[in-house]
Amino acid sequence: MSPDGRAHLAALAGFDQMTTARLNLLMSGRSPSEALAMARGDVPPSPAIAGEFHRYGDLRRRWAESGRTIDPGAVAARCAELGVRILVVGDADWPAQLRDDPRRPAVLFAQGDPAVLDARRVGVVGTRNPTRRGAQTAARFGHELAAAGVCVVSGLALGVDGAAHRGALDAATTAPVAVVANGHGSPYPKRHRALWEAVAESGLILSEWPPGTAPDPFRFPQRNRILAALSEIVVVVESRIRGGSLITAREAAERGIDVFAVPGPIDERAAVGTNRLLLDGASPAADTDTLLVALGLDTRRAGRRCFDARPRPVGDAAVVLRRCQQAAQCVESVAVGEEWDLARSAIALARLEHAGWLVEAGGWFEAADEYADLA
Amino acid sequence: MFASIPSAVLFGARGHRVTVEVHVAKGLPGFHVVGLPDESIREARDRVRAAVMSSGATWPDTKVTVNLAPSQQRKSGSGLDLAIAVGVLAASGQVPVEAVARLALIGELGLDGSVRSVTGVAPMAGVLADLDIVVPVERAHEAWVVSDARVRPIRHLVELIDVFHDRAPWPDHDVRVVGLDRPHDPDLADVVGQPMARRALEIAAAGGHHCLFVGPPGSGKTMLAARLPGLLPTLARDDALEVTMIHSAAGVSLPPEGLVTRPPYRAPHHTSSETSIVGGGSHSLRPGEISIAHCGVLFMDELPEFNPKVMDTIRQPLEDGEVRVGRATQHATIPSRFQLVAAMNPCPCGEGGRPGGCECGEARVAKYSGRVSGPLLDRFDLRVRVERPVVDDLLSGARGESSAVVAARVAAARTRAIERQGSVNAALSAVDLDVVAPLHPAALALLRNEIERGRLSGRGYHRVRRVARTIADLADLPGDEIDDATVALALEMRTSARPVRSSSVVA
Repeated sequence: MSPDGRAHLAALAGFDQMTTARLNLLMSGRSPSEALAMARGDVPPSPAIAGEFHRYGDLRRRWAESGRTIDPGAVAARCAELGVRILVVGDADWPAQLRDDPRRPAVLFAQGDPAVLDARRVGVVGTRNPTRRGAQTAARFGHELAAAGVCVVSGLALGVDGAAHRGALDAATTAPVAVVANGHGSPYPKRHRALWEAVAESGLILSEWPPGTAPDPFRFPQRNRILAALSEIVVVVESRIRGGSLITAREAAERGIDVFAVPGPIDERAAVGTNRLLLDGASPAADTDTLLVALGLDTRRAGRRCFDARPRPVGDAAVVLRRCQQAAQCVESVAVGEEWDLARSAIALARLEHAGWLVEAGGWFEAADEYADLA
Repeated sequence: MFASIPSAVLFGARGHRVTVEVHVAKGLPGFHVVGLPDESIREARDRVRAAVMSSGATWPDTKVTVNLAPSQQRKSGSGLDLAIAVGVLAASGQVPVEAVARLALIGELGLDGSVRSVTGVAPMAGVLADLDIVVPVERAHEAWVVSDARVRPIRHLVELIDVFHDRAPWPDHDVRVVGLDRPHDPDLADVVGQPMARRALEIAAAGGHHCLFVGPPGSGKTMLAARLPGLLPTLARDDALEVTMIHSAAGVSLPPEGLVTRPPYRAPHHTSSETSIVGGGSHSLRPGEISIAHCGVLFMDELPEFNPKVMDTIRQPLEDGEVRVGRATQHATIPSRFQLVAAMNPCPCGEGGRPGGCECGEARVAKYSGRVSGPLLDRFDLRVRVERPVVDDLLSGARGESSAVVAARVAAARTRAIERQGSVNAALSAVDLDVVAPLHPAALALLRNEIERGRLSGRGYHRVRRVARTIADLADLPGDEIDDATVALALEMRTSARPVRSSSVVA
């Protein structure tokens, strides 16, 4: 496709309320410039587009507005400035996994090296607000998979996604892939700016939308389907009963991609979604080896980060640590469970935390493993 | 002819003595009130005239002038009705002037001559304490608390006229206040389980610390707060008098014996206006909720739902123990030394108290918790997470320790603190803390670790030491030094007001 065509397609993707389905409707049997003219309202809409205009009352007006404000040349220049390549179907670098996808994107914006997708790939997804254990598990998967030469695919969101990426980057062997729901150039969430840049530096960040696109809520489910399609297997680390990661799991299942879920305690809100996945037939992901075996790889324990050098707790501390390894504890729950005075429970928890056995957030203590600093 | 009757008006929580001067002389018939009366007093003209005529006396068909001295101060309220009426009767020669000498009068008149109750009789009677005072029957118990002389409760202007003419003795009304028996403070025994929250309440009571409960709906935050006054000691005589004055001025019903002896508990709704919380309003500058809660507990449920302006305005009274309400021409200083207890959810969905429980987006959480300003949060020595009680505990029918048992420990701890430094622990300054709350090296190491990890600010450090001092007082540990277990518990009592996120750093 000519550079102009790419610029027109990139501009079109940035139209207000643009979705993959609408973009594909516009592009069916037309060149990008024809499609752009139709979206702007310069030429009469095709029956399919007219139907779309009819169903969504102000779409015609919004697109006309976008057509006036969006300049294809500027979009292409902005992509070049950010080092973002505009990929279209048929390009050599177009991800092979998306070639025959039922809901194939019309265009992809790629920052980094598309060749990292040639490695074995595992999608690691989960809630934005995981428990400490969930975040550590995600970091562990990220690290151990990368160390075993597997590419981690995730979404750069807060919580599980971020931890998986941090784990993969920490292993510094196989670069991770991120699929994001907004445009390049404005990392979302802002807290992950450094992480975003690190992934772009060593791996690949893919987006369906041009630079400057806001992270609108409707874009996340669309992102999840690309994330699922790019993975060979998808593992859901933690999810509440309604979570975006369950959409990823469903998209994966629709594509015949195996879904794994990390089992959690039945009374843990952050594990209800994953436990439900297991009930629905997902495979349990007990450790990284499970995932490696599912990929047909067997590099047992090769990726362990380090060995534990912390002094073993004794006495009260041992009792408390055992509790925390089962579920998150607070001073009150330990005191009630062990029938201790509150102060005794508080000091035992404080000492364990100081020794690095526990991590505290908002008064809740959870057991820390060697991945705690990446979680 | 001329008569001068002492009476009083209310201003803030204080009474101000007013002399009602009445002059009746020849001239065009008319009735004038001068001396900066506001609308409510000017209306008194019609009430007084009708009441006098209904009581069988005659209204002088000459010029009647009433002056309210001191005349540069604006006056408000209907409590001067009775004084004006008696003044007119005396000045027009219908009652002997010597009969009304050394007699102060407070009360509103009905058109039929009946004497109605007014708010603020206690503080008004307070400034007339050297005189015999005539008050409406319903408020006699308030006047009795503060008056050094005789209190003369009456129901009707006719009774007063009869007494002045020696036709009858002072009426002997039944002044018992019925139907106002205050229910007893709710008992802490009703709170099942929740050892942490119970302990926090005990510490708050013993140290006078402001306390914030953070927990999901249904975790019993309101129930806990309502039990705090029951743990506090009975008010000292001076405090009780002050509280009685404020309650009377605000129109809060007083207990039958007149004197408020138990710490008040006020729980204004979160839609309350700034004026209703802080005080002010009309010319009399009515005391607000923070003053009514003087020497007691102010409970602000759903703290982030309060108007941010309201939250900001209570900061200064929290610091100073009194509120200065000013208007263009006048201001009043009203005591407001209250203990603040507040409750909030950790996040809009309410489930953010446990790791991985919250479903809210980051932006929503930030907006919610951002409504409570940092400076206000800083005032809470105790910030306690409250969890829903365990179902088994609820159904077991077991009861916790009763308020009486806890109150005894609280009283002992308060005595220890007051013998040591003359105030409750919440009032300890950083310098005092070094003297009265030295730390064991292990405890110091614990705090140093928290500070170095950026989880404890300088202010937080002092707060933790204050709370630790109270915990040690309650436990009656030997020696002044505070050990590490006590500090660890104190650190636990200052949780973040934000939901738990695995990546969050606790403030």
